[in-house]
Amino acid sequence: MNTIVAEVKEIKSVDNLNIVKFYFADTTLSMMSLELSERVKVGAKVKLITKPTHVAIAKKFTGEVSYSNQLDAKIIHVENGELLSSIKIQIWETTLESIITKDSSERMNLHVGDEVTVFIKANELSIVEVLDD
Amino acid sequence: MINININKKLHGVEEDMQLDVILEIEKGDFVALSGKSGSGKTTLLRILAGLETTNGIIHVDNEIWLDTHKCKSIQKREIGFVFQDYALFENMSVLENLLYVKKELKLADHLLEVTELGEFRNRAVTTLSGGQKQRVALCRAMMKRPKILLLDEPLSALDPSMRLKLQNEILALHKEFGTTTIMVSHDPSEIYRLASRVIVLENGKIINDGKPKEVLLRTQGSQKFSFEGELLEIKKVDIIYIAIVAIGQQLVEIVISGDEAKDLKIGDLVNVSTKAFNGNLKKNQTT
Repeated sequence: MNTIVAEVKEIKSVDNLNIVKFYFADTTLSMMSLELSERVKVGAKVKLITKPTHVAIAKKFTGEVSYSNQLDAKIIHVENGELLSSIKIQIWETTLESIITKDSSERMNLHVGDEVTVFIKANELSIVEVLDD
Repeated sequence: MINININKKLHGVEEDMQLDVILEIEKGDFVALSGKSGSGKTTLLRILAGLETTNGIIHVDNEIWLDTHKCKSIQKREIGFVFQDYALFENMSVLENLLYVKKELKLADHLLEVTELGEFRNRAVTTLSGGQKQRVALCRAMMKRPKILLLDEPLSALDPSMRLKLQNEILALHKEFGTTTIMVSHDPSEIYRLASRVIVLENGKIINDGKPKEVLLRTQGSQKFSFEGELLEIKKVDIIYIAIVAIGQQLVEIVISGDEAKDLKIGDLVNVSTKAFNGNLKKNQTT
């Protein structure tokens, strides 16, 4: 499971539906959520999670895409299986894993040291814990 | 308004425990009482009904039902009680069971109409099905026009479709008579459908009290789809791992990464969760 520590920047709500924005690295993350714990408020530090299979990677990306979360990252490890590839990427001090098909990994010619963009959909981020300062 | 502040030593199967309950219940509320068996739920109902004595106070609409000097008798408490096992007079007809409580034919016929028992009014109760018997028990409990209706797992012995029907009838009568209803139940769908408040007891103490959705919704952080299970197996397939987890009567598979697999061992109790946005919902063809 990928873990990201971030700080709540803003919460927008309609009934029990929320979009929460977080400060992370030099960018902003967005999360779609139903009811939130009362401890999730602006300024709170939280631990976010997302599954490796929910993390997409783009190389030399231009144009627009609907993913709310787009992060500049660097590939630090590539492990190829027969069908799948595990790509580890670093964003500041945070390491994330992306599991993609080996075909995609080869098509994109992904290697350690490559500068890439990481995509995570807003509904694929979850708060797993509110951290006490 | 019902005010309860009681304590009583109970002799449990494994060890003695102290039933210690301080509770305020609004008039007209529908409260579900939940918790493991042996947590004191039924004892609390029996104390309210006057079937058991205890230390403490019970006030109902500023009337004293129990304090240090006084314990109102069962007959004088305006209470209706429905047990899991019906507890009807087997030698009487349906109507006689109702009129035994109060000779008010019009009310008896109305209750039998609401619960679709009109055509059975002169039948011997021994000839009725479980669902019909429980409806008679419910009608009989309402004959006193009780201030408080106490239900002790009234529907747990019935099949799901009968349960749904009776849930609707209980709710209809609760509303029509303006009673305050307290129901012991373990069934989350029943609690969600009927109750406006859930109180969870454990070892004689209240450990949770709130709206059904707040109390019953299993969450893991902001994830609304959360189940506890036991890890049965982890299989490596290519570069990923597949965890097989037993949840209730079912097995599920969850794909995890190598890093996650490292921290897990067979037999671990695990939590399987995902976001409310990610589940697929499909109507079951057999319903």
